[in-house]
Amino acid sequence: MDQLFIPQPDTIPVGWAWFQFLLLLTFPLHLLAMNAMLGGLAIGIVQHMGGSTLQKQLAHRIAIALPLVIAFVVNFGVAPLLFVQVLYGQFLYSSSVLMGTFWILIIPVLIIAYYSAYFYDFRFTQLGSAGPWIAVVAFSLLVVIGFFFSNNMLLMAMPSQFGEYFSHKGGTLLSFGQPSFWPRFLHMLLGALAIGGLFVALLGRFGKSANPDLTSHAERVGLRSFLVLTSGNVLIGFWYLLSLPREQMLLFMGGNMGATSSFGIALLLAAGALLTAYKKRFWLAFSHAIGLVVVMTFMRSWLRSGYLKDVYTLDQLQVVPQYSPMIFFFVTLLAGIVCLIWLVKKTAAAIGVERKRDERDMSID
Amino acid sequence: MNYPVWFLPETGGGIFIALISILHVFVSYFAVGGGLYLIYAEKKGLREQSQPILDFTKKHARFFLLVTMVFGSISGVGIWFIIALVNPAATSLLIHNFVFGWAAEWVFFTVEIAAAFVYYYTFGKMDSKAHLQVGWLYFIAAWMSLLLINGIIGVMLTPGSWSENMDFWAGFFNPSFFPSLVFRTFIALMIAACYGYLSAAFTADEEVRLAMTRFSAKWALITLAAAIAAGFWYLSVLPTEPYGLVMGKSPTIAAVLPWLTSGLLGFLLIMLGAGILRPNRNLKPVASLAMICALLVMGGFEWTREAARRPYVINEVMYSNSILKKDVEAVNQNGYLRTALWVQNRDVSEDNLVEAGRELFEHQCYACHTVGGRNNDIVRATSSMSYRALVNYIQKIHEVRYFMPPFVGTELESRALAAFIAGGLHGKDVQESQEPAGSTGKGLDLFEENCSSCHAVEELTGAFDGLDTTEIIGMLTSLNEISDEMEPFAGSQEQQEQLAVFLSGGGEQEVQQEVINGKDVFGTHCTVCHGMPDMERKMAGRERKEIFAMLGKLEQLQRAMPPFRGTPQEREALADYLDSINQGGQ
Repeated sequence: MDQLFIPQPDTIPVGWAWFQFLLLLTFPLHLLAMNAMLGGLAIGIVQHMGGSTLQKQLAHRIAIALPLVIAFVVNFGVAPLLFVQVLYGQFLYSSSVLMGTFWILIIPVLIIAYYSAYFYDFRFTQLGSAGPWIAVVAFSLLVVIGFFFSNNMLLMAMPSQFGEYFSHKGGTLLSFGQPSFWPRFLHMLLGALAIGGLFVALLGRFGKSANPDLTSHAERVGLRSFLVLTSGNVLIGFWYLLSLPREQMLLFMGGNMGATSSFGIALLLAAGALLTAYKKRFWLAFSHAIGLVVVMTFMRSWLRSGYLKDVYTLDQLQVVPQYSPMIFFFVTLLAGIVCLIWLVKKTAAAIGVERKRDERDMSID
Repeated sequence: MNYPVWFLPETGGGIFIALISILHVFVSYFAVGGGLYLIYAEKKGLREQSQPILDFTKKHARFFLLVTMVFGSISGVGIWFIIALVNPAATSLLIHNFVFGWAAEWVFFTVEIAAAFVYYYTFGKMDSKAHLQVGWLYFIAAWMSLLLINGIIGVMLTPGSWSENMDFWAGFFNPSFFPSLVFRTFIALMIAACYGYLSAAFTADEEVRLAMTRFSAKWALITLAAAIAAGFWYLSVLPTEPYGLVMGKSPTIAAVLPWLTSGLLGFLLIMLGAGILRPNRNLKPVASLAMICALLVMGGFEWTREAARRPYVINEVMYSNSILKKDVEAVNQNGYLRTALWVQNRDVSEDNLVEAGRELFEHQCYACHTVGGRNNDIVRATSSMSYRALVNYIQKIHEVRYFMPPFVGTELESRALAAFIAGGLHGKDVQESQEPAGSTGKGLDLFEENCSSCHAVEELTGAFDGLDTTEIIGMLTSLNEISDEMEPFAGSQEQQEQLAVFLSGGGEQEVQQEVINGKDVFGTHCTVCHGMPDMERKMAGRERKEIFAMLGKLEQLQRAMPPFRGTPQEREALADYLDSINQGGQ
């Protein structure tokens, strides 16, 4: 076997299971927001190009929500990236350096995409037919970022590739040549577009009484997108499974009880989501899809452990115990959640007052 | 040594860190101070029942959102990305040690984002009391982010007892925690006032423009005064070594101080002149200049803070090149290349001296030095040093220049590094001497050993004109009085005399005669374009002094000519040779 280049990990202050718990708690939030961003934007572009008033209204609503969604994609990405660095830092830092030139490009690309999204939102009407093209630029840049992330997440799980560093010292190594890269990337991308459909349907529900036509249009478009894309994604999912190295593939086929159970539950949830979407039962489809994303993050976690198990398991991390900072964090988290609830309540109250004022103005007119 | 090196020889990673950090900090301080500015601007509008001021505040809030939410938050992630690429070992240590501090900071970041959006999108739609409460929630969350980051990055400069016990709270409440927090808070408010001043300049309504200009300038001047006072407090808690670096021993800091001072003065003058006294002078170019001045102040501070940590990235714990201080002794014994993970040349021999040296350079020097780049170019920095001088210098680099980390590895590895720099980068002879510098006891050796890392021979010859050796010895033993960056020459009395004799002029000839043949230099650098008859014609009637000066500005003499790329000694030798042609001999 060739020499493996795996750095020594640093010590952790509490048991690894806490970090795994926090990772699995926060990562689905990032994925859901990312799906809303990517899928919502894709549907928004199609709607904007469609031409009817309802389609334009829906596109505009998506455009307004987009900057807010991007902010939360980034924010919800920070926590899992932090926890994954604690658990798998020695792999992730190394793989990031190996593809450093591309990895750092994510930052300017994201800034441009984000400003494009604001531009699209604030100048939606003035931009006219150029608007969708701005959105296409933002969408393409965001997909590029996803491509780089997929490369790194796969590369970090394959330390046998790390020896290629010596011919890529400038940080130009990518992993898209691996057999499982493209099905993995397409599975994520198509999944994001599908869940984005549900986000669009949800978005249409705001202000339902003010514009019931928009609500039903958004729901129709969103559920149909979800149905079609998820059906296709089931096939890509199987392609992905078959593309995995045999040992990792078998994890989901009886090799590991947890992984196999998750896979079974994921299939059931996917079937449930498709069926309920077909029957236009929005909330049921929505809850199935959220469950599916959560279970998928568990599967990803098993897969990563499976890739690395010959060289590393999480229980190898050395604990130098200090629990008080974790307690401090949980107290902060609780306080933060209280603040967010307060903000939502105040905002809802303000919107309610405004709506009543608008209705009163309309009745006077 | 535990992680791979992202090697961009001509650029270096440090420049990316500096660029992203300075721009991020300039915006993120706006994100903190701007929250309070918005609250007070809104309160002013409400108190004076001025709709134009409220409109200004809303417009400023939109600008605030666009700058802080997009550039501020993404560049913040950018810092995380770039430090993990440039110094993964230090990033990993800080992430693992302070993970729950970062996690708590993430919570405040989330609240900050939500509150910022609610504040802007409900402006004029929410009752004013609740709206101001949202503003306060934003500001408190943003300031708490500052507090948490201040605790974690403060440990890098003043680790205190954390360097021994790695205790979270000991690190967080490190010796500079409070002065740094107060200083940063006032700087954040000052920067926010500057952004407000800029917004005012872009306001069409004359009355609002004047009112908000004066309002912003008052904020700026009061907070600037408070920040300066806090800055002295901050300075007073620095340990001896960083304090010394800030006060002049670091050339990196010394280089940036004029910029910082100019920014500070410019900012002060603009806020006083075109803010308080004549607010109508707040025009777009003036406000833009104020922003540049504030950026200089901010950038100067960040640069200074970073450089004050040298030679460490985490003071007293990890050197800039990621080597842990506690590992130095063991690595010196076992060898760096045998201990490090991401290397190919594990054993050093005469056959792979330069290649092994190349890897040592990448791991130990590249963290601060580029190869042929603009930032701290190793080629330029070592151009006047021979292989022998380098060997000696590398072995005691940290003692000679505190802000450089010690070379870590075996004696043979230090030779390998010297061989790479002298042979691999400069093409100089690395076989010339296997005996250590200084062993012959000659002035040249002593010069190379002690002076050549910073000085070329001809730079110093003028400085000693007319002085006798006693006077030169007097200067050598009190070099620290000439410059904070120098230490007194610590050689024996005999060595002092030898060095003094060398510097008084006699040694210079020794250099040229012993080491370099001017005819060879001519062959290497000139014969591609110039033949001998051509040179005889060009040199006719010229003094040696003039010839030497011409060699220093070839590109000015004729645009087609490249600058002379030889070492200073080669230039001297070449001047002698060309002068000898003039005298009739070759």
